[in-house]
Amino acid sequence: MFFYYLDLAWRSIKKTPFLSLLMVLAISIGIGITITTLNIYQMASINPAGERSSKLFEVRLWSQGIDTWSRLNQQITYQDGFNLRKSPVPVRQTPMFMTGFAVQTDDPEFTPVLENARVTDRDFFGLFSVPFLYGGAWDKQVDSEPAYQVVISEELNKQVFAGENSVGKTLYLNRKPYQIVGVTKTWNPSPKYYDVNNGAFNDAEKIFVPYSLAPTEEYQSWGNNQSWRNEPMDTYAQRLASEAHWNQYWVELDNPEQIRAYEEWLANYIEQQKLLGRFEMPDAKAEIADVAQWLKVNKVVPEDNKILVGLSALFLIVCLVNMLGLLLAKFLKRAPEIGVRRAIGASQTQIFSQHMVEVGLIGFCGGVLGLLWAWGSLSLLSAHFELEDALTQLGYSMWVLAPSIAIIAALLAGIYPAWRICSTNPSVHLKSQ
Amino acid sequence: MLQIKPILSTLMRNKSGPILLLIQIILSVSIVANASFIISERIDLMSRDSGLAESEVFDFRVYNFNPETDYGAQNGRDMTTLRNLPGVIGATSTSMTPLSGGGWMSVFTLGESEETAKETEGAAIYYGDEQMLKTLGVKLIAGRNFFEEEILQGSPNQANLGIVSQAFAKATWGDEPAVGQVFYAADFGQEPVEIIGVVETLQGAWVNNSSLENSVILNVELAFPFTKFLVRAEEGTLAQLKEAIPAALHRDNRERVVSGFKLISEHRKSAYRNHELMATVLSMMVILLLLITSLGLAGMVMFNIERRTKQIGTRRALGAKKRDIISFFLVENYIICIVGGVIGALVAVQLGQQLMSLYSLPQLELIYPLSTVAGLIVLTTIAVILPARKAARISPAIATRSV
Repeated sequence: MFFYYLDLAWRSIKKTPFLSLLMVLAISIGIGITITTLNIYQMASINPAGERSSKLFEVRLWSQGIDTWSRLNQQITYQDGFNLRKSPVPVRQTPMFMTGFAVQTDDPEFTPVLENARVTDRDFFGLFSVPFLYGGAWDKQVDSEPAYQVVISEELNKQVFAGENSVGKTLYLNRKPYQIVGVTKTWNPSPKYYDVNNGAFNDAEKIFVPYSLAPTEEYQSWGNNQSWRNEPMDTYAQRLASEAHWNQYWVELDNPEQIRAYEEWLANYIEQQKLLGRFEMPDAKAEIADVAQWLKVNKVVPEDNKILVGLSALFLIVCLVNMLGLLLAKFLKRAPEIGVRRAIGASQTQIFSQHMVEVGLIGFCGGVLGLLWAWGSLSLLSAHFELEDALTQLGYSMWVLAPSIAIIAALLAGIYPAWRICSTNPSVHLKSQ
Repeated sequence: MLQIKPILSTLMRNKSGPILLLIQIILSVSIVANASFIISERIDLMSRDSGLAESEVFDFRVYNFNPETDYGAQNGRDMTTLRNLPGVIGATSTSMTPLSGGGWMSVFTLGESEETAKETEGAAIYYGDEQMLKTLGVKLIAGRNFFEEEILQGSPNQANLGIVSQAFAKATWGDEPAVGQVFYAADFGQEPVEIIGVVETLQGAWVNNSSLENSVILNVELAFPFTKFLVRAEEGTLAQLKEAIPAALHRDNRERVVSGFKLISEHRKSAYRNHELMATVLSMMVILLLLITSLGLAGMVMFNIERRTKQIGTRRALGAKKRDIISFFLVENYIICIVGGVIGALVAVQLGQQLMSLYSLPQLELIYPLSTVAGLIVLTTIAVILPARKAARISPAIATRSV
C-alpha cells in the first residue's frame, strides 16, 4: 500500500510542479539554515573529554586580595600550582602553562622554527589520555628532579625528523639540548579544553617539557598573565613568587569520596596559606569544575551561536507554516478528485495516509535539499571567514538529523490539511462536477 | 470604495488560509526585526575607525633565542635596518598591535594625595619610540611627539612621558587639557608619567572591550627576548618585505626566528570575524525569510484566484473594472499584513526583551519592527499584484459558462 501511495504522491507532485517545488524549497531552506547553525553550535559545544569528562577537574583558587577581583580567576599562581602537587588525594594531577621555543636540530642547515610548548608534569599525558606513537612520557622522577627531556607531537616529528622514530634523539629548544622521550600520535582536542585562555579552538602545543625545569630554565609565559596587584616582576624568581595568575591546574578524581576528600584538602590548604599571609579574603575558597562545567564557565559556546540556533528554529517554524498554507491550498484544490475516490469506496484512513505519504515525500526531498544547502553554506562560510575546520565540518549526525527533522516537520504541517481533505463530505464535491 | 466589508466577510468565510498567513507574518516580522537590529548593531561595531593606515601598517615578531643577546642594542640595530629598507615609511618596536586581540592593558592612578587617589579607566599600553605616530599613521591633535633623546630602553616601568588617545583624555580629565597632566603607572606617587600629546584616535587590541578607544603610548623601547615590530610601508610591498626583512635581520644575527607578518587590515578581519559571521548568517536568514514569505503569499493568492474564478467572472460581468479586482486582492492581503504586522511588532519587542535578558544584547529599537512592517507592505504589494493582474484578465464570460 505504501508504494502505491508513494506512486500517487509522485503523480500528484508532478501535477502541480510549481506549488510542490515551492514547498520543497520552503522546507529545504528552513532545514538548511537550521542545520547550518545547529552544526556550528554542536561542533562548538562538543565535550572533547568524552566519558572522562566527569573525572577531570580544573582547580580555581580565590587567592586575590580584598576589594580586587570579584570573581574566581580561570588560572592560579605558580606558587599554588607548585604547592597543590603535594596533595595525595588525586589519582593524577598536573600544573601547567604555555610557553614557546625556537626549535633547532643537529642539522646546521635547519632554519629555526618557533613553536608553542606546554610546561607540565608527567601526569598530563595520562590525565588527558594523550596517545603515543613512539616512546612515552618522562619518568615520574623527572617531576621532582628536573631533566632535559621532551615529548613532541607527530606533526613536529614529521617536520623535523621526517616522521621516523626520533626517541633518544636531541632537539634544541632555545639552544638547550633536550632528549626526546616520546612522540605523541596526532592529538588535538577541540575545544582545547585543558587551556582555553588563548583561543578555545586553537591547536594543541607540539612540544611538552617538564614543569620542574621552569625555575632553572625560566620559561616565559606565552599565555595570559593576570595580576590583581602591582608587584615587582623584573626577575623570574619574582615572577614565581608573585601573586600573578598564569598557571592552570587539573586533577583526576574517580569517585565522590575522592572529590569530597580533595575539597577538604583544598580548604585546609587555604587555611595554611592564610597563616602565611596569603588568601586575604575571609571567605576565600577553592572551586573545582569538571570538563562540562569548565566549558560552561569559559563560555566556549559563544552567545551568538545560541541566538542563531534560536532564530533559525523560529525560521523553520515560518517555513512550516508557509508549507501548511500551501498544502492546504493544494489539497483543497484536489477535493473533487478525492470526492470521487471517497464515493467509489476509499476510506477516510486511506485518504489520510495517502496524503501523509505525499507530505512525507515532500519533507524528505526538502531534507535532502536542505542538507545540500547546509553543506554549501558551511563551505561558503568557512572559505570566507577562515573558520576552524572543526566548526564547519558537517557532523555525521546531521546526515540523519536533517531528513528526520524535515520529515517530522512536514508530517506535523501535513496533519491538518490531510485531516481537512479526508473529512470533507464527498457529495459536496461530486455535485459541482 | 475599498470594499472592506465584503473583503472581511470573504476572509471570515474561509479562515484557515488567512490565519496561517497571519501566523507566518507575525513570526516573520518578529524574526526580521530582531535580526536586522542585531545586524545593524554589528555593522556599527565593525565600522568604528581605528585611526590607522590599516593597509600600510603590518606587524611581525622577532624571537632572539640566544640568552646572551643584548636585547636593547639588538633591537636598536634592527630598527635601523628596518628603517633603511626600501619602501619602509616608518618602523618602531612595540608592546602590542592594534586590533590584534593580544597586548598590554592596565589602569593608572590619579590624584592629589594618597587618600584621594583614584583609578583611571583601563587603557591599552603601546611602548614605542618617536616613530610610533608616523608608523601607525595616527593624527596628533594636541601637544607634541616624543623627541628621539627622550626614548628609554629596557624595562617598561621606567616610562615617564606619554601620549594618550583623545577618548582616554576625555574619560580621565574631562574638558581639561590633557597635555601637562600626570598619572602614575603604579600605585599613587610611583612611576609618574607626564602627558605630552594627544592623538585623535588610537584603538587597543580587543574589539569587544568597552575601553577599545582608550590607548596610551609610553616612551620605552622594550628589551625582551620577544620583540614585536610595527612597520609602515607603501601599500602592496608586504609580499616583498616578508622576504627582505628576515633576510636583512638574519644578516645581522642568525640566532632568531622572524615570523608572523600580518597587516592591520588582516588583524581587523580576524578581530571582527565573529561579528561579520553573525551579520552574514543573519542577513542570509532575513533575505531567505522575506523570499519565503513573499513566495508563500503569492502562492496563496494564486490559489485564491483559481478558487474564485467564477466569483471574479461574475463580478466582472456585473460591471467591476480590472482595477477593482486587483484592489480587492490587494486590500484583502493588506488587512492580513497590517494585522500581522502590528501583532508581529509586539511579539518582536517581547522577543527582543527575552534576548536582552538572556544575552548581552541592547534593547531593541522600535524603528526596526516599524520599518520591517513597512517593508512587508511593499513586499505584499509586489507578491499580490503580479498574480492579481492575471485574475483581472479573467473574462466575464467565464461566469456564464458553467452555470
